[in-house]
Amino acid sequence: MTTEPVGLSVNLPSQRVMQARVGDADIAVWRGVSGKLSAWLNRCPHRGMRLSHGFVRGESLACLYHGWHYGSDGVCNYIPAHPDLEPPGTIQTTVFSIIDQDGVLWVSVDGAAGGQDLPGDSKPVRSITFSCSAKAAKDALIGSSVADGSGGELSIHDIAEGSNRLEFKSANGLNSVVVLLQQPSDQSMIAHILAAGDWSVDGMIGISRWSETVRRQAERTKNVPNSDCQDEL
Amino acid sequence: MLGLERAKDDWYPVAIAGSMGECESHTTRLLGFEITLHGGKNGAISVNFGETDLAVQVKFDHVWTTFCDNPRPLFDIPEGDEPGRVRVPCGVVRVKCSPLRAVENFLDIAHFPFVHTDILGAEPHTEVAPYDVKIDESKNEVIATKVKFFQPQAAKSAGDGIVTDYVYRVAAPMVSILYKTCPPKPEAQDVITLFVQPLDEETCDVWPWMALYDYENSMADMISFQQMIFVQDRSILENQIPRKLPLDPRMEIPTRADMTSIAYRRWLKRSGALYGALTEAV
Ligand code: FES
Ligand SMILES: [Fe+2]
Repeated sequence: MTTEPVGLSVNLPSQRVMQARVGDADIAVWRGVSGKLSAWLNRCPHRGMRLSHGFVRGESLACLYHGWHYGSDGVCNYIPAHPDLEPPGTIQTTVFSIIDQDGVLWVSVDGAAGGQDLPGDSKPVRSITFSCSAKAAKDALIGSSVADGSGGELSIHDIAEGSNRLEFKSANGLNSVVVLLQQPSDQSMIAHILAAGDWSVDGMIGISRWSETVRRQAERTKNVPNSDCQDEL
Repeated sequence: MLGLERAKDDWYPVAIAGSMGECESHTTRLLGFEITLHGGKNGAISVNFGETDLAVQVKFDHVWTTFCDNPRPLFDIPEGDEPGRVRVPCGVVRVKCSPLRAVENFLDIAHFPFVHTDILGAEPHTEVAPYDVKIDESKNEVIATKVKFFQPQAAKSAGDGIVTDYVYRVAAPMVSILYKTCPPKPEAQDVITLFVQPLDEETCDVWPWMALYDYENSMADMISFQQMIFVQDRSILENQIPRKLPLDPRMEIPTRADMTSIAYRRWLKRSGALYGALTEAV
């Protein structure tokens, strides 16, 4: 199992919690007040509640069900039902490796997370969920080109076989759009989109619009019946 | 399937008594089987499973049915019949969780400040004081007594918040009854129950019922209050992993506040009431 991109760093400000999927693992990703990131199995050791529904208190994540607090090391440090009790150090969440690299959050469920290199000046555009198979989403993305907002176009550039990364480049090679694909389930896929080079605000908005157009196309061609599309954060 | 045969010997709620018109019918599920309810004369309701007529009885304002010819008798709630109480069937809430998870959540008080914030509990009043739990062998029921918890709005008449006393009874694997302090009548206790219809091992219809001394609120107000509480519980129940109730103690970690849940899980295991349970660690 490799490291997966689970979101854009800008979409997870401090004190926020989100749900992600890496392979079969349901994961809670959150940031403490200081900005410190954690990624855990999305299941509270107490009674199995999804931790992604919890809330951040300082540098701890509190479970929504009974408010148990877990520090960024995953160890339970407070049980509200027993305020005077020092919780035994054995109560802990399953902790995964997460890094924030070039504005992308990468999680690995086995071993240390290692992100992919991106062009140095990459700026986050958005994450967008496609409610269709990964293949349909990928085909639609590959078959399209991105307008750069000033008359030019970026076209698809080397796609390695089986790769979950697509790169679009302008004719002069100066501007690029990187799409990192994450497959949370068989019937949906998330595209994390970044832009590198010289982009105006309108250009960035154009990239976002382009992703919506491609999504409509992908969902129309090979679709699942209930496509309640949801944008990330 | 583990526990199915035993589960078939119990009675389950499938409708509110008198809720169907003559000649009306609808299908529902019980323990994974499709059954059909038919409205008859004078509000009577009969139940079919394929060609078979199932036994039916009306109790606690609900229609109960069973697959068994010689079922375990339906429990009693003597307090429910006391004169002066308002008896309120609260309707039905569908929940995507094991019927046993729904019962266990009903037995739990530690979640009040977090799930029913400012209604049944509030921070910083989160402590759960020790209480007593035992299995009443003569009735084969789990009983928790001397349960106390601070509630900001235990009832509309209670101004500032009060410490509420509770007694919990698990009268059948999918039935839980609670008795709680009744503000307008301190010598009596309100009765609130959770009757669970297991659609299958991971889906249930929950039929709350109350028998209260409430002279102030309308029936509609009491129902909507109870429904609101239960909808808050549903947001938890549909997000517990796994959906079935784990009976292997290695799977989930309880504390002293969970004594009722621990006793409930042990009692289920020793009774072989495993429908909706997970017996091995995953
Ligand atoms: S399930 Fe998380 S605190 Fe109880
Ligand atoms: Fe609750």
